[in-house]
This record gives sequence, C-alpha cells and structure tokens, in this order.
Amino acid sequence: MEKTQILSEINEIFKDVLDNDEILINEATKASDIDEWDSLSHIQLVVAIEKYFKIKFSSSEIREWKDVGEMIKSIQSK
Amino acid sequence: MEKGSIFMREFDLSSDVYSLFLEAFKDKNPLHTDDSFAQSKGFEMRVMHGNILNGFISYFIGECLPTKNVIIQKQEIQFHLPVYVNSKLKFEAKIEEFYESVNSYEFKFYFENENRKKVAKGKIQIGILK
Repeated sequence: MEKTQILSEINEIFKDVLDNDEILINEATKASDIDEWDSLSHIQLVVAIEKYFKIKFSSSEIREWKDVGEMIKSIQSK
Repeated sequence: MEKGSIFMREFDLSSDVYSLFLEAFKDKNPLHTDDSFAQSKGFEMRVMHGNILNGFISYFIGECLPTKNVIIQKQEIQFHLPVYVNSKLKFEAKIEEFYESVNSYEFKFYFENENRKKVAKGKIQIGILK
C-alpha cells in the first residue's frame, strides 16, 4: 500500500480515536504535536491501527517509532 | 491469560448492593426507587441501576484475573434487559484479543439473568502494568 494512502487512512483513525476532526497528520507528526496524543491514547491508536489493517506490531517495534512516518513504515512492512 | 480464555463468575445483585449504590451515588430517579413509577413505564418493579453491573466488572478485573497488575483502559456496555433487586447474574468474559505491542487484552463479556437471557454485554480493554 502506498504511503499516501496509509497516511490518509490512519489520519481517519487518529480523528476517531483522539476525537478531533481537525487533526491533519503528516509523516513528521510527533505525539508532542497533538494535544490529545498522550500515552493512553497512544495505546488506543496502536490497537485501532492493528484492528483496521489486521496486522500485529511488536512492543519493540512500536518503541522505535519517533513519528507518524515510522508508524507508516511499520504498517508497510507487514 | 491467552486469547480464547474464558472467565466466569456469579454476582448477586442483593438489596445491600443496591442500597449501597444508592447511598454512594444518590441516583434516586424513580425508575430505580419507585415500584409504581417503574410499573407505569412497563417494568415489573424498580429497575436496578445499570452501572451497578460496572461495579461487578470492576471487581472482576481487579480481583478475579490471574494477575493484579491490571488497569482498565476502555470499556463499553450495552444494556438489553432490566435487572431487578435480588437477581443472581451469571457473568462470562472471554479474551478476544491480546495486543502484545501495548500489553493489552480485549475481553468480550456478558451478564445473564436467572432465565439465561443476556441482560447486558460489552467489551473491556485492560492493560497489564509493568
């Protein structure tokens, strides 16, 4: 799947999980850029992404994520 | 605890539990406290607060799992049938998914009354504390 398509799809997941329709993420977006993206909502984001794409991440894999771009790379690798 | 594991409990929605809930949270809406009012709305008698069931869920997660290192992260519940005082409820929860990435389990659960009718069902997501 293309990066842009994944980005668009996870943007919808971010809006839903973080309950903010204004969110517009890009590959450089970090947790610190979005008020609602805290440690607990991060768990819900990961779970929602795993469910949506029907994939599984490992704990070590998600620890490496520094921004949305790395999240997308993980999704692409599945 | 693994995907597919099933946990069962029985809960007694006694008059003590009801009274303590009323005293603690003060929801004295007539649906919950006045038999005549409840009957006028089509119920057999006053209906127990649905959120009493959430108390049982709290007990299940906090006390009945193989580990105490747990925290509820998310919970959804749908109420299907009224529950009356002095009901005995069967509770069953099944692990639907384990998310190793975030060390979280997702349960599906239901409560059943003495007539084996589902009175409530839902999902709970818990995290395992390190």
